[in-house]
Formats: sequence, structure tokens, C-alpha cells
Amino acid sequence: MDERGIIKNLQEGNEEAFRQLVENYQNMVVNTCFGLVHNKEDAEDIAQEVFIEVYRSVKNFRSGAKLSTWIYRIAVNKSLNYIRDNKRKKGFLNIGEKNHGGVVPLAEGKEIPGYELENIQRAKMLHEAIDSLPENQKVAFTLNKYEELSYQEVSQVMEVSLSSVESLIHRAKKRLQKKLYACYKKKCI
Amino acid sequence: MKCKAVHKKLIFYIEGSLPEKEMQQIAGHLRECPECLSFSEDLKKTLEIIGLEKSSKVNPFFYTRVKAKLENTEEPEIVKTPAFVRILQPVAFSILLLLGIYTGVRIGQIPQTKNSVTLTDVEMIPFLNEFSEEPIEAFLTD
Repeated sequence: MDERGIIKNLQEGNEEAFRQLVENYQNMVVNTCFGLVHNKEDAEDIAQEVFIEVYRSVKNFRSGAKLSTWIYRIAVNKSLNYIRDNKRKKGFLNIGEKNHGGVVPLAEGKEIPGYELENIQRAKMLHEAIDSLPENQKVAFTLNKYEELSYQEVSQVMEVSLSSVESLIHRAKKRLQKKLYACYKKKCI
Repeated sequence: MKCKAVHKKLIFYIEGSLPEKEMQQIAGHLRECPECLSFSEDLKKTLEIIGLEKSSKVNPFFYTRVKAKLENTEEPEIVKTPAFVRILQPVAFSILLLLGIYTGVRIGQIPQTKNSVTLTDVEMIPFLNEFSEEPIEAFLTD
């Protein structure tokens, strides 16, 4: 079934079309969410919410638009909402909690095959650096680096101009570099 | 090229997105500066994590979980109330409210009877102004 067929059948409530949609876009959505939240389980939970939203809102989908762009947009919004909600909850939970000294539990790294301890620490450093970026820069960088979207595709997902995307990614890279250099000087790894 | 200038462009150098001239300048600097070379390699390894994190594995139970979640969180049917109920209710509440206000005003207007015992102004004044009853000089000399 091609994209148009999937949309048409989905709008009629066809379950097979929905299954195919999930199979086609599952990896894309999970990777996008992971790029923003940096946790595999949370990324899958958010991805499930994304597909539920797609199923409920497909009736409002304009047939001329690209399905993947629309799904990316939902995935980004859901992930950002999750991060904001988590930040609020963390603010309360942090009271009385021990500071683990920034060490990532080994279990988190074991989820990803082939990880050594050094890679776990590098991943943590990278995630912290990406998390410190302003929201727009973080989204643009994640879509470009994790999903390998072109600047044009990123601009369509984020609904901003191409020059804005170029600027966002450029600034994101500069900030990341600065943050990673600071870590390098402190010998974080 | 100085180290500070190289540090600012290192990430773009690693991606190969700089003009040829700058790429050569930075490459030349890295050959001579072990500190910058070390950071360059460190940065490259860190950025490679992104490639490692991208998963191509498909969770076989993902669709099942989505379906289950969809069924559990099905939106309740919106029951539309008839138009006349939607208009009638606010009208009825408004009438009740006006009736209540009118009743309150009428109760407040009920005149006092002759038999009711109330203190008049004349009777109240001695209690409010005691100076004529007990002059201050008498109080001080006591």
C-alpha cells in the first residue's frame, strides 16, 4: 500500500492500514524521540502516544502534505512536552534525593549493544550537552543528526525558513563544541 | 592558525563542511599541536556516539502495545444535549436568581411594629457619650 492508500484506508478506520503505518514509521518515530529524550523506554512510550495521536487526528490530515513530515512534527511535540513535564516533576523529586555524582548506571548503557564504559560516559556527556541547547536548536540538531534529515526537510518539520534552520544548526554545533571542550578540559572521561 | 580559532571550527572540520583552505589550515595546525589533536580525536569519538545510538532494531511487540493503549484510552462518546435544554437551563437559573434577589429585597422592606423593643438614638447617647455622666476631674481626684 502506498502512502496515499494508507492515509485513505486509515481515515476509514482500517486496522491493516494502521498496522502498516506503524511498521513503516516505528523506527523513525522511536529514533526521533530518543534523540530528544535520550532514554529508550521513554522514547518507545512517547512513540506509542505519537501513533495514537496519528490515528485520532488522521481525519484532519491534508492529503497534499507529506505524511512523514506530519508524523515528525507530532513526535517532536510529544517529546518536548514529555521533557517539560519531566522537568517539572524532577523539580519536586530532587528534594531529598542523593546526587549520584553524575555517574550513569551501567544498566542504562547495557541497553545499547556494544557499549563500553567509556562510551557510556561519552554518551552521557553528549546527552547533557544536547540537553543544554535551547529547544529550537536541540530539535534542529536532532532531526539533522539522528534522523539525517536535510536542512530543507528540517525546515518543513519545524515550519521555519531554511536560513533559520541553517542558523539553528550552526549555533547548536558551536554550543555543543564549547560544552564538550569544557568537559574535555575537566577530563570528564 | 591559533588554538582558540581552531577550537571554534573543529566540529565543522570533523564534518568536512569548511572551505578547502580552512580545512588545510586546521589540518596543518593539528599536525603541529598535540593538544588540539587530542581534543579533535576526543570530539570525533563523542560525535560518533550518535551513529551508535541510532537503532535499526524493530520491537516486535510495539504494534501490540500501541493497539492495547489505543483501546484503553478510547475517547468517550460526546453526548449532545438537545438545544432547548441548553437554552432552558440558563433561563431557569436566571429566573431563580432574580426571584431570590426580589425576595431578599422585600424581606428587607418589612416595616418595624410598635411593640418591638429597640433602643432609640436618644436612649443610646448616654452610653456613647459618658463625659456628662462622669467628668474627667472627678475621675482624677478619686
